[in-house]
Amino acid sequence: MHNKMKTNSRIFRHLLYCGLTMLFLASAGFVTHSIVQAKQPVISQTQLSTIHPTFPFLDDVGENVLHTGKPVSTMNTCGACHNTTFIEEHSFHVNLGFGEITNPGETPSGRAWDTSPGFFGKWNSIAYRYLSPVGDDVVDLTLATWIQTLGVRHVGGGPAVYAQNGQRLIELGADPANLEVNVVNPDTGELIPWDWAESGVVEMNCFLCHTPNPDNQARANALHNGYFGWANTATLLGTGIVEGSENSYQWNPDAFTPEGNLASEFIQIQDPTNENCGLCHGLVHDDVEDPLIMVGCTPERWSTITTGQIVSPQKLSDSGMNLTNKDELNRSWDVHAERLLKCTDCHYSLNNPLYYQESPSTRPEHLIFDPRRLEIGEYLEQPLHQFARGNSAQSTVAGELKDTMRRCDSCHSVENSHDWLPYKDRHIDTLSCESCHIPQMFSSANMVQDWTVISLEGSSITQCRGIEGDSDSVGSLISGYEPVLLPRQNLAGETTLTPHNLITSWFWVYGDPPRPVRQTDLQVAYLENGAYHPGIVLRFDENRNGNLETSELIIDTPEKEQFVKDRLSHLGLGNPRIVGEVQPYSINHDVATGEWATKECQACHSEKSRITQPIQISAYAPAGVIPEFVADSNIAVSGDFINMEDSSLYYQPQTDPQKLYILGHDSVAWIDLAGTIIFVGVLAGIAVHGGLRFYTALRTPHSAPRTPHSAPRTPHSAYRTKKVYMYSVYERLWHWLQTFAIVMLLFTGLVIHKPDTFGIFSFRGVVLVHNVLAAILAINAFLSLFYHLASGEIQQYIPRPRGFFDQTFTQARFYLQGMFKGEEHPFEKSAHKKLNPLQQITYFAILNVLLPLQGITGILIWGVQRWPESANRLGGLPFLSPFHTLIAWLFAAFIVMHVYLTTTGHTPMASIKAMIMGWDELEVPQSAEEQVTGKA
Amino acid sequence: MVNAMKNFKYIWALGLIVTLVLIIVPIVIFTSPGENKIVDDPWAGVPLHVPHTDHSDIIQGPFETGSDVTKACLECHEEAGSQVMATAHWTWESQPYNLEGRDGPITVGKKNTINNFCIGIQGNWEGCTSCHAGYGWDDANFDFSNQENIDCLVCHDNSGIYVKGKAGYPVEGVDLLTAAQSVAMPTRENCGGCHFNGGGGNAVKHGDLDETLYFPPSNVDIHMGEHDFLCTDCHQAEDHNIKGRSISVSLDNENQVYCTDCHNENLHQDERINTHIASVACQTCHIPAAATRDETKMYWDWSTAGSDEIEESVHTYLKIKGSFVYEGNFKPTYGWYNGTASRYIIGDTMDPSQITSINSPKGDIHDASAKIWPFKVHLANQPYDAINHILLQPVTYGEGGFWHEFDWGQALQLGSDIIGLEYSGEYNFAETQMFWPTTHMVRPAEDALSCDHCHGPEGRMDWQALGYYGDPIDWGGRFRSNSYQP
Repeated sequence: MHNKMKTNSRIFRHLLYCGLTMLFLASAGFVTHSIVQAKQPVISQTQLSTIHPTFPFLDDVGENVLHTGKPVSTMNTCGACHNTTFIEEHSFHVNLGFGEITNPGETPSGRAWDTSPGFFGKWNSIAYRYLSPVGDDVVDLTLATWIQTLGVRHVGGGPAVYAQNGQRLIELGADPANLEVNVVNPDTGELIPWDWAESGVVEMNCFLCHTPNPDNQARANALHNGYFGWANTATLLGTGIVEGSENSYQWNPDAFTPEGNLASEFIQIQDPTNENCGLCHGLVHDDVEDPLIMVGCTPERWSTITTGQIVSPQKLSDSGMNLTNKDELNRSWDVHAERLLKCTDCHYSLNNPLYYQESPSTRPEHLIFDPRRLEIGEYLEQPLHQFARGNSAQSTVAGELKDTMRRCDSCHSVENSHDWLPYKDRHIDTLSCESCHIPQMFSSANMVQDWTVISLEGSSITQCRGIEGDSDSVGSLISGYEPVLLPRQNLAGETTLTPHNLITSWFWVYGDPPRPVRQTDLQVAYLENGAYHPGIVLRFDENRNGNLETSELIIDTPEKEQFVKDRLSHLGLGNPRIVGEVQPYSINHDVATGEWATKECQACHSEKSRITQPIQISAYAPAGVIPEFVADSNIAVSGDFINMEDSSLYYQPQTDPQKLYILGHDSVAWIDLAGTIIFVGVLAGIAVHGGLRFYTALRTPHSAPRTPHSAPRTPHSAYRTKKVYMYSVYERLWHWLQTFAIVMLLFTGLVIHKPDTFGIFSFRGVVLVHNVLAAILAINAFLSLFYHLASGEIQQYIPRPRGFFDQTFTQARFYLQGMFKGEEHPFEKSAHKKLNPLQQITYFAILNVLLPLQGITGILIWGVQRWPESANRLGGLPFLSPFHTLIAWLFAAFIVMHVYLTTTGHTPMASIKAMIMGWDELEVPQSAEEQVTGKA
Repeated sequence: MVNAMKNFKYIWALGLIVTLVLIIVPIVIFTSPGENKIVDDPWAGVPLHVPHTDHSDIIQGPFETGSDVTKACLECHEEAGSQVMATAHWTWESQPYNLEGRDGPITVGKKNTINNFCIGIQGNWEGCTSCHAGYGWDDANFDFSNQENIDCLVCHDNSGIYVKGKAGYPVEGVDLLTAAQSVAMPTRENCGGCHFNGGGGNAVKHGDLDETLYFPPSNVDIHMGEHDFLCTDCHQAEDHNIKGRSISVSLDNENQVYCTDCHNENLHQDERINTHIASVACQTCHIPAAATRDETKMYWDWSTAGSDEIEESVHTYLKIKGSFVYEGNFKPTYGWYNGTASRYIIGDTMDPSQITSINSPKGDIHDASAKIWPFKVHLANQPYDAINHILLQPVTYGEGGFWHEFDWGQALQLGSDIIGLEYSGEYNFAETQMFWPTTHMVRPAEDALSCDHCHGPEGRMDWQALGYYGDPIDWGGRFRSNSYQP
């Protein structure tokens, strides 16, 4: 017998290698024409592998199940060729944190009752039940009950086969203190022994992922009912290989050859399809024509419940769901599913020779691709079941494998497809692809698990987002929701904004170190004989109809809280108290093509920016407890909880803590305030000064002709002027070009700063115009600098040190006093000395300080995408942008002042005309009259 | 001083202009959209609908016959007669054509061909020619050279009261004067009257042409529904020669209507979709289903005709015609097609054990000019000569015809005599098929097929039948990696 087995397995091995070699040749595309013609039907429309050799089904001791009638052992059956021990040891789906068990409270989550970072040992609010740590007096789940209640989400193997000490569970002896061999008697609460030999263990279930139509419900039933050993066999129901139910299954002899091997037509081994993965991970609907329907948000398909992600190629408009604006939703649920990608195309086995790629961090610089691949036979014998994975906020198991999968940019060229996007690099540094390409979820998702109260069925009160009306009715309108963008850090320490759903839970804990109040204890506290306890009804029944509706199951008064607290204390639970936590769930699927992505600038660059868009946390906060974010996510919490008037709770991300400054959204209040004050102050000063000038002119009407500041000079006036060619053509061009550019820059800058106020302008267009204007201004400035240097005109701007302060004071005194008394300008204006000392100092400051500063900050803001380091060295956008804004305010104030002062020539328009024409009419001071005459 | 004044104005304006130009030109240069946008103006290909000259004051009656109207038309439209006579709408016959595998050029048309619906017109003229654009074609001796036999009204009547009957004559009681005074460009009703009723009733023949197109919703036909097209907007005519070909009757692929007459070939935003265009016809994706509203005939079994046992119902059985299967909103059959087809010509021998193709689209995976096209495939069980193995054409209509006598022997003998076929006297029924390219009833873009409809395990294409090793999404397309393909 033993020999025969050996021979058999050798034959299998030969067959396997033959098959493997063929598969390799075929997939590598080296098959010659003739072979392929002979083998043409090999390529099937499905993913079933037609070359998988036939094999016997073996039980736990390696005997053919046809003879023993026992459950199939995948470890022995598949293990005849594939190294199932290797696979089991290298699979986080098997392990689920079993290998990372710590003392309670020492996991990254910080929860006092968590013992691992994986689903085996890590609590979550949806499952609620927890695996009791060793030494707990009050026990919730022991190992066996964990498998019964939560094991449906475990592929088997690992903790379902082995004890923590490494022994097989079935080898463990009775031990009243070991939770691995006991369960809680639901009636007495006492521990009673669990007979592993009778229940069997759950081996790693190969069929669940590698056969086309596994019967997951039968498997779940077997697990739930404690027939662990039969769970994998139950998975094969419906294949014709096995029949039966509960703990009684019969192998169908017709499915096997006379030699006891599975008949070839029953072999349906395949790569995992999306449907296989979907059994646990989320709703998968691979049919484009058959309308997709999902009802409610009850916890069944994990990623769909937690985020609303649905993997389907179907168009939303073709689905059977009652979606808002459904007719217009002419996009697929998931573009990658539409393009026929499989889950395993991104989440591939890490030693799959077709897929694996060495991470850039460990790959030598000079290599793009390392062609040395695992031979496919070796791979099929020992395929790693560590799958490439992303970097989600919620999944903390096997952290060393995070970020191993292909990212968007592993396949997609951003370079070649985002030319339309201004500041491309900046956007891509800040935003994940998902933040724009998953603009909205089109299904409902879980929002709240309120375990402070309990339904008659023993479940939490849940709230859903994205659905209007009864969340369990197919007719309810599904509006979907816009995910919240949270800063998520990858292993390399880079942070990008990524879409998330937030699920918040409130629940009672007791004792120290704390434990969640068990579901059973909650039931005892709230319920009595299948109905709510009269004391509960008395306090919770708002409408006094004797029943508690879901809407009444809220702890919103101290009285209710105290009553429940007393009930729980009465059960012997010390210091019961309500805590709340927020768990972010990353959204990386349901990606849309560019057509559906967020593209409008104003989506983010506006007051109501997508970046800081609040997301509802809950319709209420039980007992007013503000929840806290979980400690083990890779999300940097950077926002605020907001209590709305209707008692609902929102979370709003903030840009400040993220060191983000979003043009058009962010502003610094004091800068805008200071800028406004300066600007308005200048306006007020001008109004006062101009009013005084006007008043002065009115008071001295007779001297009006002689007062140059208040009335035009008449031809009959005795007052004399001379014409001087004051400004060269180039100077005037320079001046006016600068004028137009600065005024338009101020305006476009204002639009960029407050785009909501100027809604008619395209943000993108205005930014572009602003940049072009800035370039014009800069070129103009450099040319004029050259002109002024080359021509020596620069001297006009350089204050003469001697007597400068006195002269400045004199000029200021003139503006403030002298001109009202009809005094002459204290300093003569001439082609050689166009500027008075006050102008000199002002222009010097404007042209040599403000303008360059504005230019430099502007260039750095423009350059954040090109040379982000330079901007970062100066504080990045959060410093540069407000600074740029402040200077803009100063410019605006200066321009107003400047224009006003030009009216202080001998006539109000004289100086402006001079700047247009070049010729200025200068007053001839009495003292210099003769000189002028002489000169003329 | 005068100079200075001039100078002043000049400088002021010039300065302003120069300054503005210096500012505006760079802005315009930088903000103007790039040149790489695909220019796509499909409306450029659509003719304007100009109001037609009102003929009500021009045309004076009275008219006794249709030919009287024609004479009146020809008084002004002198060229029209000879123009119409050159078209297939008049001749029901092609220009001589060198069909592959035949000795010398042949002419084929409704006039002399065989199909697998009513089989053929020869001997049945009176019934069939009610859709001929002429008057009086009731036997083999019809005068094709007499311009007065042309029926102008069938295409140009806009009154809606004009109806043709036996041999194409107007039916009793048609007010010819009103009809003649209403003449204008052909409407949907003019074309549809015959083309929507091919095969003897609404929707019978084509699967993509039926009476829903008189007033189609947008999701049935985007052109005629959403955009209010007329047939003649695509089937434009020059000298009465109307564009369009179908392998159900045409041999050549000249003067064809193409989507790309109006649409840019590479207008899809998705590069991946654009690469399909080399191998997939527009129609394949944009007409995801045929006969969307009205069911069309998919199978016609002549062998059961003449029975009184079977209950008559217009869509399942008629004593004169036999049994039918109708289908609606079905997935078309896909195959390679380069615009031409092989053809069964009367007298060709056939193999009764096989399905005889009346017309088979030409092209295969190796034919670079062929694309994957959608077809309605009509199967029939029709009479053939059991000894000589040729398809037979019965006389059905009129005296001695099958529809009167229900005698196959006599009907087939009559037909063979008229055509000049050697009939052994023994007949049987054999299966035949005809391919009808699905090209009308283009759906809105959002209804087009997506990847999954064709690719993947659930896809509707039989890749191996098309000549691929397997799904080209895995194996590569025929141009991308030709070495992969057989």
